[in-house]
Amino acid sequence: MTAFPRTDDFVSRHLGPRRAQYGEMLGLLGLDSLGDLVARAMPARILSGRELGLDHAHGEQQVLEELASIAAENRVWRSYLGLGYHGTRTPPVILRNVLENPGWYTQYTPYQAEISQGRMEALLTFQTMVLDLTGLEIANASLLDEATAAAEAMALAHRVAKGKDRGRFLVSDACHPQTIEVVRTRAEPLGFEVAVGPVADFAFDDEVFGCLVQYPDTHCRVADLRGLCERAHAAGALVACAADPLALVLLEAPGRLGADIVVGNTQRFGVPMGLGGPHAAYMATRDEYKRQIPGRIIGVSVDADGRPALRLSLQTREQHIRREKATSNICTAQVLLAIMASMYAVWHGPEGLRAIAERIRGQVGALGEALRRLGWRSEEEAFFDGLELSGGPLDQAEVRRRAEAKEINLRYLARARCRSTSTRPSRTATSPTSTRSSAATRPTSTSPPRPAASGPCRPGWPARTRSSRTRCSTGTAARPRCCATSTGCSRGTSA
Amino acid sequence: MLRYLNRLQQRDLSLTTSMIPLGSCTMKLNATSEMIPVTWPGFAALHPFVPADQRRGYDRLFATLEAWLCDLTGFAACSLQPNAGSQGEFTGLLVIRAWHRANGQEQRDVCLIPGSAHGTNPASAMMAGMQVVVVRCDDDGNIDLGDLRAKAAQHADRLAALMVTYPSTHGVFEEGIRDICDAVHEHGGQVYLDGANLNALVGLSSPGFLGADVCHLNLHKTFCIPHGGGGPGMGPICVAAHLAPFLPGHPLVATGGDKAIGPVSAAPWGSPAILPISWAYVRMMGREGLREATEVAILNANYVARRLHGHYDVLYKGPEGFVAHECILDTRPFKASAGIEAVDIAKRLMDYGFHAPTMSFPVAGTLMVEPTESEAKEELDRFCDAMIAIRDEIRAVEEGRLPKGDNPLEQAPHTAAAVTADTWDRAYTRDQAAFPAAWTRDHKYWPPVSRVNDLHGDRNLVCTCPPIEAWAE
Repeated sequence: MTAFPRTDDFVSRHLGPRRAQYGEMLGLLGLDSLGDLVARAMPARILSGRELGLDHAHGEQQVLEELASIAAENRVWRSYLGLGYHGTRTPPVILRNVLENPGWYTQYTPYQAEISQGRMEALLTFQTMVLDLTGLEIANASLLDEATAAAEAMALAHRVAKGKDRGRFLVSDACHPQTIEVVRTRAEPLGFEVAVGPVADFAFDDEVFGCLVQYPDTHCRVADLRGLCERAHAAGALVACAADPLALVLLEAPGRLGADIVVGNTQRFGVPMGLGGPHAAYMATRDEYKRQIPGRIIGVSVDADGRPALRLSLQTREQHIRREKATSNICTAQVLLAIMASMYAVWHGPEGLRAIAERIRGQVGALGEALRRLGWRSEEEAFFDGLELSGGPLDQAEVRRRAEAKEINLRYLARARCRSTSTRPSRTATSPTSTRSSAATRPTSTSPPRPAASGPCRPGWPARTRSSRTRCSTGTAARPRCCATSTGCSRGTSA
Repeated sequence: MLRYLNRLQQRDLSLTTSMIPLGSCTMKLNATSEMIPVTWPGFAALHPFVPADQRRGYDRLFATLEAWLCDLTGFAACSLQPNAGSQGEFTGLLVIRAWHRANGQEQRDVCLIPGSAHGTNPASAMMAGMQVVVVRCDDDGNIDLGDLRAKAAQHADRLAALMVTYPSTHGVFEEGIRDICDAVHEHGGQVYLDGANLNALVGLSSPGFLGADVCHLNLHKTFCIPHGGGGPGMGPICVAAHLAPFLPGHPLVATGGDKAIGPVSAAPWGSPAILPISWAYVRMMGREGLREATEVAILNANYVARRLHGHYDVLYKGPEGFVAHECILDTRPFKASAGIEAVDIAKRLMDYGFHAPTMSFPVAGTLMVEPTESEAKEELDRFCDAMIAIRDEIRAVEEGRLPKGDNPLEQAPHTAAAVTADTWDRAYTRDQAAFPAAWTRDHKYWPPVSRVNDLHGDRNLVCTCPPIEAWAE
């Protein structure tokens, strides 16, 4: 007890009924106390009778202060680590009015279509944006993350590939490592064999039902997918492609190059990295597979008055109806984050997205040129947002030391030639002085640029009203001026 | 842009409008103070693969939250990696599978699942390479213990696991849960407890105490992460000590057990940015508050069930006539008596300003109401008043005072355009259509569209923005 007790008690705010009302409510039930209720509603055998080990309640303000001190223990450096996660600017209008807005974050899944039209419109925009970027015909309204989306793509490919005995799935060794491992986790219990290797070595035969490649790949290279798709299709296999949606603003759409399934993470469309999530992954595929695509799909129908109205489509695919025949257990997805990504695209518009993507590519190009003059080698002929460097005047330990002095994270590769790598943790270990070992994995050619995504499709959707202030997406939220190319970006992303 | 966002937002009914009494979904308060830290740069701006010394704050957050969740579930270890309840199910089953394999029991691949289970359970079992065997439920919605014992014995050599939801999806604390767990263990299986309904257990009992070996927690249900209109969620799993070595690992960051199964998510801790929400909730409630929340969740559900007594039949109750934290209202008889189905009641509730309860789960043609501990008595009364008024409307159809078809239930919901149109040729008044309860005059939520035609949409599948002309009046 203190003379002046705290006044920021949260428990009474979380609980709906006031404690003074318990008696009246219990009275209706013919009971005297909450203890009485528990004794009558719960079998005695299941009551543990154990006091929790947790602390007593802390006050609302007290907990916010505690969380602020925890957040302060995290250090926010500039990260050029790539691997599918990128610094991005959340447009303030989206930050405050979507992500931080209970009118957007407290709804339930849109099962009751009539009172969910707003978010379904935003999700329809998400699907339209995904189709525009991927060049495919049907998209869902988000999946959990890129790696699980890739695993879902594998399962989809297996369901639709001709020939039931096919059991092998080829995975490019230039996919992000976490994607490869999640695909392995998901493949093993299903009895699929996962073969990881260079795309050039992919051997398609009648055992293979599909393959997975990354576009641009984890080494920031952009390969032309056409030859691969032709080889795969000739053998009756499907091509799944994990693609960075911002790169797709400039690059030819994978669907037009022949990819059958495209997945990816829309995090860099304005969603904070958050140490890994939540972010919305996407999946798109060909129309003929629409009844096989996992997750929820928003579709257009009409209401009783004959006007357009949105709803969840093809609900019969879902596991709550199909049960043992279910092909995916996906249920909750990432609606709020998909809405953020979709509104990011609306906010910037096709020209704005293109400007952001070109700015990134331009900066990385200039950076590569400057570093080459300093003696670094980067072998990419086709790149989007990162460079893999080797052979420069500094060894990797020195690069690391200098980068860390400026609070910059670079991705250091394990296949280093210099000795210092042996003292580094192997997995994220260093090296701008490393080189890719195999010439066989050289990129082929730059895919031709294509027109950017087409415009919003509904009257009243705003065109961009500001030309330059919010265009730069290439920083982290905490570091508003990180678009500068002068930072020593070795490889990774968003220069 | 602001106006566009606001316009879309106003078309949706969220918790900012009214209670969302969705059974099994636990739409409780998402307090603003829990939400505020999510967008702080110290949580939001970190790349998932930064060196460990840059995420010390997160590591502290993970460690404390894991310890709390273990305390609450009665288990020894926790993995925050699964990104949704369904992913938690899959992960938990993989952990069980890995344990069997480590014990030289590779042939164990049968997963018992009660007929009342959520559809994700069998789907997760299939994905984990298991064969699903369905266990019968009795007339009260409880697992048929005889059938369970028989099937566990029949598959004793191959029994891998039982997946069971507790309290049951029928909203009842089953008496026999500990016997059920014992029976599975006797035949070499493990018990996976689906934590979807953990809101009714916290502080009073725990999956570990009940005899389970692993459970997932829907942090977006019991632990206050908002549903976000269909995500994000998180489905971490907690496990007994013998399963801890198998918790999932990650190729880029050291995490999980020393015999870890592979990663189940792209990021090592799933969706860390939303963990401060659950952390804040547990911290602000404390052990007494969490227990009281469970008690009040049970109180609110029983209060609703009792107030609706005589108007609707509650389908399942415990032996002493009480429900757990939710109740199933049997609306099936109205089909014969008035041609009214659960969906008509669900849509009519919109005219009263409410989101429908869960429809047709776990029993087709019924409504399942979960008020949660966060709804005030006044809101519960308003909801009950709406349900009672709807029952009167059904009675009017039953008694022929309103025709079948042309009544406010089957025509619901009513848009502003419909009730203000120049012509009105329905058998009930505009006032009855749009303002069926007093409070709707003070605060009216207008459904933006009338009843959506599901069949038309599936027959004419359009899943992209239609051309501008389609929206022209």
